[in-house]
Amino acid sequence: MNKTTFYELLRERILILDGATGTQLQKKGMPQGVCPEKWILENPHAILEIQGSYKEAGSDIVYAPTFGANRWKLKTFGLEDQVREINMSLVQLSREAVGRDILVAGDLSPTGEFIKPFGERAFEEAVEVYKEQVEALVEGGVDLFVIETMIDIQEARAALLAVKETTDLPVMVSLTFGEDEKTLTGTDPITAAITLQSLGADVIGCNCSTGPKDMIHILKEMKGVATVPILVKPNAGLPVVKDGELFYDLGPEEFASFIDEFTNIGVNLIGGCCGTTPEYIRLIKERTESAVPKMWLKSKISALTSARKTVFMGENMPLVIVGERINPTGKKKLQQELLDGKLSEVRRLALEQQQKGASILDVNVGMPGIDEKKVMVNVVENLSTLSELPLCIDSSSPEVIEAALRIYPGRALLNSISGEEKKLEKLLPIAAKYGAMFIALPLDDQEIPATAEGRIKVLDRILEEAKKIGYGPQDMVVDGLVMTVSADQKASLTTLGVIEYATKHLKTSSIIGLSNISFGLPERKWLNSAFLMMAMAKGLNMAIANPSSENLMELKMAGDVLIGRDENSKNYIAYFGQSKTISKSIDEKPKEENTRTKIYEAVLKGEKEAIEGYIKKALDEGMKPFDIVDELLIPAINKVGELYDQKEYFLPQLILSAEAMKTGFNYLEPLLLKEDNARKKTKVIIATVKGDIHDIGKNIVGLMLKNYGFEVIDLGKDVPKEEIIKQVKEHNAPIVGLSALMTTTMGEMGVVIDAAKKEGLDTKFMVGGAVVTQAFAEEIGADGYAGDAIEAVRLAQALEK
Amino acid sequence: MDSAVKYFENIWIEPPMDRILYRLGYKKTKTKLEKDQKEQIEELIWEGVSHCHPKGAFLILPITERTCHSITIGRHLVKSKSLAELLKNSETAALMASTIGDEMIHAIEDEIKKENSVKAVIFDSTASQMADKTVAWVMDFINKTLQKEGKALTSMRYSPGYGDLDLRYQKIFFEELKLEKLGISLTKSYMMTPEKSVTAICGVENRIRREERNE
Repeated sequence: MNKTTFYELLRERILILDGATGTQLQKKGMPQGVCPEKWILENPHAILEIQGSYKEAGSDIVYAPTFGANRWKLKTFGLEDQVREINMSLVQLSREAVGRDILVAGDLSPTGEFIKPFGERAFEEAVEVYKEQVEALVEGGVDLFVIETMIDIQEARAALLAVKETTDLPVMVSLTFGEDEKTLTGTDPITAAITLQSLGADVIGCNCSTGPKDMIHILKEMKGVATVPILVKPNAGLPVVKDGELFYDLGPEEFASFIDEFTNIGVNLIGGCCGTTPEYIRLIKERTESAVPKMWLKSKISALTSARKTVFMGENMPLVIVGERINPTGKKKLQQELLDGKLSEVRRLALEQQQKGASILDVNVGMPGIDEKKVMVNVVENLSTLSELPLCIDSSSPEVIEAALRIYPGRALLNSISGEEKKLEKLLPIAAKYGAMFIALPLDDQEIPATAEGRIKVLDRILEEAKKIGYGPQDMVVDGLVMTVSADQKASLTTLGVIEYATKHLKTSSIIGLSNISFGLPERKWLNSAFLMMAMAKGLNMAIANPSSENLMELKMAGDVLIGRDENSKNYIAYFGQSKTISKSIDEKPKEENTRTKIYEAVLKGEKEAIEGYIKKALDEGMKPFDIVDELLIPAINKVGELYDQKEYFLPQLILSAEAMKTGFNYLEPLLLKEDNARKKTKVIIATVKGDIHDIGKNIVGLMLKNYGFEVIDLGKDVPKEEIIKQVKEHNAPIVGLSALMTTTMGEMGVVIDAAKKEGLDTKFMVGGAVVTQAFAEEIGADGYAGDAIEAVRLAQALEK
Repeated sequence: MDSAVKYFENIWIEPPMDRILYRLGYKKTKTKLEKDQKEQIEELIWEGVSHCHPKGAFLILPITERTCHSITIGRHLVKSKSLAELLKNSETAALMASTIGDEMIHAIEDEIKKENSVKAVIFDSTASQMADKTVAWVMDFINKTLQKEGKALTSMRYSPGYGDLDLRYQKIFFEELKLEKLGISLTKSYMMTPEKSVTAICGVENRIRREERNE
């Protein structure tokens, strides 16, 4: 069966798939826990009867019972060396059951292992495992392939690539979605559909997991973006175990009542999964007999995906910001980390750009001294699970690009393909193989054309070449190739001409690297802003830029509204609505902005950096150090405490204020000490008790105590009682804070307190930790319990009195 | 379900912003937060998230023997009345583990050293909530897989060190799940490093039985 014939069939009528195999085999006596493939070969009558009856009921395609016949699954039963024999024999059985009248699909399913980036198995290993099975199935004589019940998009990609790299037979890919309409690893139906059809699936769809009702919305979502036919194979409702037996709660008639809805949505292949029988298939056949198949989308979809999100581009869609910051050029910290094989900075930049409103992340790791391919693969794997944004693979090396596109669990954007002969020849087929969208750079072997006309010629040629290998204009993004106006005053007009041509004539998306326009000129933001608006008016729909620039993001929001790309100004209102909801000033009374007010407000608002300057000014104006503390700092921090109690402030605000207070106090301290009545700080010893090594909580308590003016002596973790007692004596500390995280170590706190009492020390003990309670504190004779760092400060303040 | 240990090398966890803020004391209707401060805090949360590397593992083992105060899971006898009670309707049990890795713990320690309290508490809250969500993700994953078999995990889970489940049973998780593969190690006093790592056990029940009981 070739793809053309398969599609002809699908244009003629809705094709009927088979029903359940596993549950039917169990009915025929297959025990739990055996290798189904082996059992079938030992009991061939069972599958002959099952598939014979599906053919009789009206199936056009039966799935060969090779569901678990891959090396990793067969290894569970010690049969990993019989992949070829088992697959070939099973296909032959299916053929014997149904003859040549209907089709036999080679069935690939999850390997039972998890693939990188989500799991631990290498992507290439999975491809090889599937390839071995695919080769055997081809040799066995299957008519087409089905990759089914997939729970992870990356494993589905591995199986799909294995088929594509082995044979030209049609391949259908079907995923399992949960009640949340996502696969187990979090992929939604639209994202799955776009990713898989771009990678070359001839049919996409869903099977198993839920009954037909829950699949309706999933199918609608898929159909909306499907450029290929779609399939459905629901379970006979939800599985439940009663009296030790598994059964499904939906009978054939009820199941079949959903068929009209499926055909109305435009499903092109219908069958049944777990719990369904030939009777279900007979009813599907009956209900679809007169249905006219609905076609799939003719034009391609301009969209990029990650494993969990789709970003659409094109006319009427908001301007897409491609975050430019993951690029080592000019970033010393990032360069060093990449050289050291670390990714902290990459991860930070990714999430920062995501938070600031980027829709896509450009990834460029090209720099001297690193193995670009290795680093790129590592970064792509890492970002695929860290961020939900689709990636733009930015490299000049075909090898690096192919490695990245191969393991990327979505549909990426390739940055970029120029009109240079070698680039076109090498990069276009790579991009097409992995279904990536690509940025077309209007330069060729001769030059960077200075005029729009010159660039247009190059773009026409790139698109023409791309069409030859199956691309459409929706897959291409034209780069306006921005040059600085400081060198050529007409550079902006050239780019605008190219954008206009892309929008009106090529019908592609377009992109610019915005900041290039103003290079070499002062006050660049004005040029950047004006140019962005002009380009948007010409149809620009993507910009490579830094989303941390508020100016850029605000302009984008406004531009989207004015060009009609933001329906009902929804995004604009959501973006700027936030600033309108800025809470009223904490102190409602308008204040006279004198130095005293500024100091008070600095503590209230946690302005650590500003407070020193205000205090210095107050001292210059003649205010006494103690008056600053007593009349401003302390009342302000007390007000903060009040606001915290009323929940108007939460912990970070309280700490910011305490830090501002501490900064101010530290500045004043030398002056205060000069005065006779200088106050001494109260000493607090803190320790995590013996046997316990967790001390993050204790350390945070230490920090807070310091902020509130205590002198903290931190003994660390796993501290024996003898050491604590020794330090108490040495420092004559009036307060000790003990911490323990576990039930097994909290008892040690009592041991320390007892020891202190025996020594006759009058030190006050406060205790805390995840499992510690007030009652426990009382039981062990502690002077107080603190549930968090703030309670600890208050307790210490009470105990020092 | 397959009886081999399953490892998740990179779990995607959407940062539970509301829960992170709530843990820091934020009350939606009461707390007044200026836009700049909110952005600053959210930036720190995202920075914290960039230090988290959520990973997990699980294994389903048969329950081979039981009394009212002990239970044998695989080859391990566990003396715990509350665990025996939790698993009374189960024929198998799921051993689970999760971690957010040590990078975040080092980041918190660094901020504490630098006496940067705001960042330290925000990172700490982010770490705790990401850790909670990671173990919840592992449970959710197992549940979705079990659904196909008409089964589900008990809604409650137990961890060594809680109730009457002795901390020394951490050893079972390390033996069975080979947690060094996730970068988790166990001290002599049965504590896990890095901090914010979680081990837990749940029973696997037939769904209909659970639903009937819930009714």
